[in-house]
Amino acid sequence: MSETPAVQVKNLVKDFRGSSTKEPASGDLLRESPAPDAPDDIPPPAGGIVRAVDNVSFEIASGEIYGLIGPNGSGKSTTMKALLGLVSPTSGTCSIFGRDSSKVDSRQDVGFLPENPYFYKHLSGEETIRFYGRLCGMKGAALRKRILELLELVGLQDAGKRRLGGYSKGMLQRIGLAQALVQDPRLLILDEPTAGVDPIGSRQIRDLILKLKKRGFTVFLCSHLLEQVQEVCDRVGIIHRGALVKEGRLEDLIAIEDQTEIILRNATPGLLDRIHDLAHREEDVELVRSGHPRTTLERLFLRETIQRDSVDPRGEQEPASKEPSS
Amino acid sequence: MSRRPSSTPLFSFSRIWIITGNTFTHLMRMKIFYFLLVFVLIWLGVNVFKLPHTAGPEGVGGEELRLLKAPLMGTMKLFAIIIGIVATALLIPRDMEDRTLYTILAKPVPRLDYLLGKLCGVLLLVLAGLAVMTLLLDAVLWYRMQNILAEFDQVAAILVEQGQFTAAERDEARGELLSQGVTWDLQAAVLVIFFEAAIIAALALLVSTFSSSTLFTVVISTLCYFIGNFIADGLDHWRGTTGMEEGGIGELSTNAIFVAFPDYRPFKIVDEVVAGQVFPPDVLGGLALSTSLYVGLYVVLSWFIFNSKEI
Repeated sequence: MSETPAVQVKNLVKDFRGSSTKEPASGDLLRESPAPDAPDDIPPPAGGIVRAVDNVSFEIASGEIYGLIGPNGSGKSTTMKALLGLVSPTSGTCSIFGRDSSKVDSRQDVGFLPENPYFYKHLSGEETIRFYGRLCGMKGAALRKRILELLELVGLQDAGKRRLGGYSKGMLQRIGLAQALVQDPRLLILDEPTAGVDPIGSRQIRDLILKLKKRGFTVFLCSHLLEQVQEVCDRVGIIHRGALVKEGRLEDLIAIEDQTEIILRNATPGLLDRIHDLAHREEDVELVRSGHPRTTLERLFLRETIQRDSVDPRGEQEPASKEPSS
Repeated sequence: MSRRPSSTPLFSFSRIWIITGNTFTHLMRMKIFYFLLVFVLIWLGVNVFKLPHTAGPEGVGGEELRLLKAPLMGTMKLFAIIIGIVATALLIPRDMEDRTLYTILAKPVPRLDYLLGKLCGVLLLVLAGLAVMTLLLDAVLWYRMQNILAEFDQVAAILVEQGQFTAAERDEARGELLSQGVTWDLQAAVLVIFFEAAIIAALALLVSTFSSSTLFTVVISTLCYFIGNFIADGLDHWRGTTGMEEGGIGELSTNAIFVAFPDYRPFKIVDEVVAGQVFPPDVLGGLALSTSLYVGLYVVLSWFIFNSKEI
């Protein structure tokens, strides 16, 4: 693992002028007061100025999947755009693999998929990847080979020659992912990658992200779909009203320290009674819940709509929920 | 994983060409060339309904050719101006709306390359459209000229035989007639139409870098074009009546106005060429230089604005 972090955001502040200017395209909720934990050296926004991102700092290590979560308008997309040099920070710095992200050079190692991308409808899938590949300086046989690889990776081999105008939402997201990966970047930035995509398409994109993780990509993911983030991310940051309110390893953040979960298969009623008795005998031990674990509606939907005997691409059996019912 | 070169050049012809090609294809597939169909319909109309003319019998052929050229060249100019403004005004707002701009600028693409690529794409489209229309115009003119010349030679031979026309007069009249046909001057006039469209497209590009809608860009650019067409005479009159000093504030301010509203009077030479006048080569050079300066200035201003634009 490289010592230089893939992403480094230090004390990022982004102010927008008030109603006289347009809001950022993400529709980020703008705030007029600084975050409660903002340090003293960052002045609060002046009158008419609204703060979209308030003193945000975080790092993403190489090879990690980082999820930035927050409600709509919390500052996720603005943070992402600052990282891509699409908006200029009011103060603070962003860097990608040690390169200042306001410089064009930093984008050599980045692939970006925006929320609800449309691309050029007059181009086919192949032409779209070729266009972005050529923008990155690729050409000839290497580019042709890369196009085929990417179409296969995103499962669009059969649709490569079709115009994007005829693509479904999920297919557009996948071709978007292919264009983001065209120059083989080390960092992938995904803004709401499954927004508006049906559960099957959403699952395919999620599986792709996991596949990319196995290949060593660093992924920075913004989403408000918490289950999705939970399934793929190593670390998460929670952003609220422009400020990063919580950050850390996912397992550490979601673990309930004073509770323990045991999931049994084919347990008899007698065994369950004995476990209950054991728990009751121990001082300070309380049996909080027991019962049949439930799958999620999404998993049920996927099981009933795709091949029933399919195996999860990660090699797992049809999963059961971690959350036991009461 | 692969490693990229350490720096991205600020300006790359190959990258600009890629964006140019994409913009050209994009506009082509938007069926913008339906305008050519209108051109063909106007041409058919001009041929079917012969326009009235007042010239005497000796000038009938030349007048007919002039009346054929004028509406066709007018249509070509209209095509170039409309495409120059509308196509340019469509590009950046649409790329922003569709978020295509994000994916392009998230690649190692400097914003100057993007702007130049878009502008060159529009100019390539205008050039291609004008080239097709010029071919049609030349073909029509050549065909008409053959008929008219045949008639002229017949009539002139009789008149010379009857002694009403000397051989020298016949040759002069024939030369006059030929000057109304397919000439290099006419091709140069089409190039001037392209120059005018290039200035307007660059101005529309500048407006679109700070405007928030296509409609605003189209309206402002069209207004600037009309003002540019009328303001020059007004400013000249003002200069003459106020007797302003050379290099004084008055002259500097009028020059500043001409930056925002280019003086399109020199481009009206197209009308004179249509009327059969010879195109002086030095005028073409001057117009090319002035076009380059205006386009260069507008591109640099667009770059300054677009570079700091929050996307």
